[in-house]
Amino acid sequence: MKPAGMGSTLVLRLYMGLFFAYMFLPLGVMVAAGVNSYSPPSITVWQGFTFRWFAEFWADARMWSGLVNSLVIAVAVMALALPMGLSGALLLSQLGRRSAGIAYTVMVSPLLTPGIIIGISTVIFWRNLGATAGLFTAILAQSAFIASYAMLMFMARLQRQDHTLEEAALDLGATRARAFRRITLPFLKPTIVTAAVIAFLQSFENYNTTIFSIGGNHTLVTEIGARMRFGISPMINAIGILFILVTVICAVVWSLLRQRERKREAAA
Amino acid sequence: MTKLFRAFGVPLSTVILMFSSIWILGLIAAPQLIMIEQSLWRMERPEGAAEISVQIDGLYNQLDVMALDRSTAEAGTDATKRAADLAALDAKEAAINAEIAALEESESTPVKVYTLANFGQMGAAHLAIFAKTIAASLAVSAIALVVCYPIAYAVAKLETPRTAAVIMLALVIPYAINELLRIFAWQMILNQNGPANLLLGLVGLDPVPFLESGTGVFVAMVYAYILFMVFPLYNVLETLDGNQVEAARDLGASTWNIHRRVVIPHARPGIAVGCIMTFMLSAGSYAVPYIMTRGTAAPWFTQLIYNRFFEATNWNVGAAYALSLLAVCTVFIFGMMRLLKVSLKDIAK
Repeated sequence: MKPAGMGSTLVLRLYMGLFFAYMFLPLGVMVAAGVNSYSPPSITVWQGFTFRWFAEFWADARMWSGLVNSLVIAVAVMALALPMGLSGALLLSQLGRRSAGIAYTVMVSPLLTPGIIIGISTVIFWRNLGATAGLFTAILAQSAFIASYAMLMFMARLQRQDHTLEEAALDLGATRARAFRRITLPFLKPTIVTAAVIAFLQSFENYNTTIFSIGGNHTLVTEIGARMRFGISPMINAIGILFILVTVICAVVWSLLRQRERKREAAA
Repeated sequence: MTKLFRAFGVPLSTVILMFSSIWILGLIAAPQLIMIEQSLWRMERPEGAAEISVQIDGLYNQLDVMALDRSTAEAGTDATKRAADLAALDAKEAAINAEIAALEESESTPVKVYTLANFGQMGAAHLAIFAKTIAASLAVSAIALVVCYPIAYAVAKLETPRTAAVIMLALVIPYAINELLRIFAWQMILNQNGPANLLLGLVGLDPVPFLESGTGVFVAMVYAYILFMVFPLYNVLETLDGNQVEAARDLGASTWNIHRRVVIPHARPGIAVGCIMTFMLSAGSYAVPYIMTRGTAAPWFTQLIYNRFFEATNWNVGAAYALSLLAVCTVFIFGMMRLLKVSLKDIAK
């Protein structure tokens, strides 16, 4: 591509530099306050480096119970959203144009609905059936929209499936169920893994839907939100540093894997 | 449906149908419908409650009159007649008391009445917050679009693949970092004693109450949701054939015309997705106003919804408020699809 001219390239570079400064400087502020002994979290008053806030987090029972709840919810959401998403995608692949259109609209609608509405409608529904809000309603509310992500991923994968293998298996006398288990399922395996990871992360990180559907209980993220409001202890910043570390590692691994996959595809 | 059974066989199809209906009916449709239903009724004093209370007053008057009768009866000299009179009065009194109890019960037991009144509960103050929430969310969308378009275009079309991969990674990291942490960073920056006010102080300005005035909510919202615009734009611009741009330039089109006639028309689905996501996330955000105002600035509409449910515990009005928000988002989605001529299939990618 021919450059549009040195001047405009320079402006664009400068603009991008500004944008990335805008993206990363606030995070830098948060990280710095997490290792500053001054409390409340601050970078304008520096009192020396410390790991104290990490120790405080380690000793905080409510954070740990929140973490346990987050993990329970995330695992349950994976177990529920994946089969629902896959079933939805398989169902769509066999419906007529009209009914597929309607079913598809309903299935993607949770992605276009504000999270708080999914949360609160789940709580209203279950209260009418006599159940109070808690981990259970949080799991169902999260699954409603996380299954949509799974469905879209499975649908994209299924559209690329070559059906000749399946047909050959059926010709050779395999039952439908067996052909599905031995051919379609292995074909879907990479998507199942990705969808599971995404479902787990989406669930673990969710705030808006969860805060409206969890009732008196809490997850790690809702507890962090409650503490943040008053910004009292830099412990929040220490947790932030841990989150950032995990995110950076995951992002780098993900991008390396993607690059390798692209190279393999290019070679094939 | 028969096609499904033919494709997967009976047992597997049954499982597919079971999971699909749990999801579609149980987790999506039923809760939404129940929420709509909840917004359409409220418990009211039963009809004719006013007449019933008049009736009750009348009965109490009768009791007062009977008290007089009783004193007359007690003053009587004939012992047997006195006992009989008193017994009759007792029986009558008991009957009246029972009737009063029954009437009071029906007067105070509220009945479920279907009405649109819950939507009318939004007074001028709440309506203003509703309007402010929508206007601010539209502004977040617009700012995100203007800021992100050059970034997405540059990464997709101007950089070498290697540089583009590095830039994408640098965009994914802040995108993947938890929303709350990104908001909290701005709470620190805009705090009374934060770096923003420190800088203002260095140039001799008075500290600005960013958090207390609600400005902080807007600033953090743009920051928190802006990346939801970059990725959809990048995805569509990546598929734009560079030769089209080249051809337009060779034919003498200006940069402005290239974008207006070639690039932007191609980017329509990405623009739609980006605007829908940023608008919906902003209008439906609870985290940003919750953390950024610390309860000092005027609330966001989502906070009103939360309060209806969990503090004022008026679920019917809460459902009406939630439904109003959902309606605005739905109108926005269809409006964008109409405006940019894209379908739902283009959107969900």
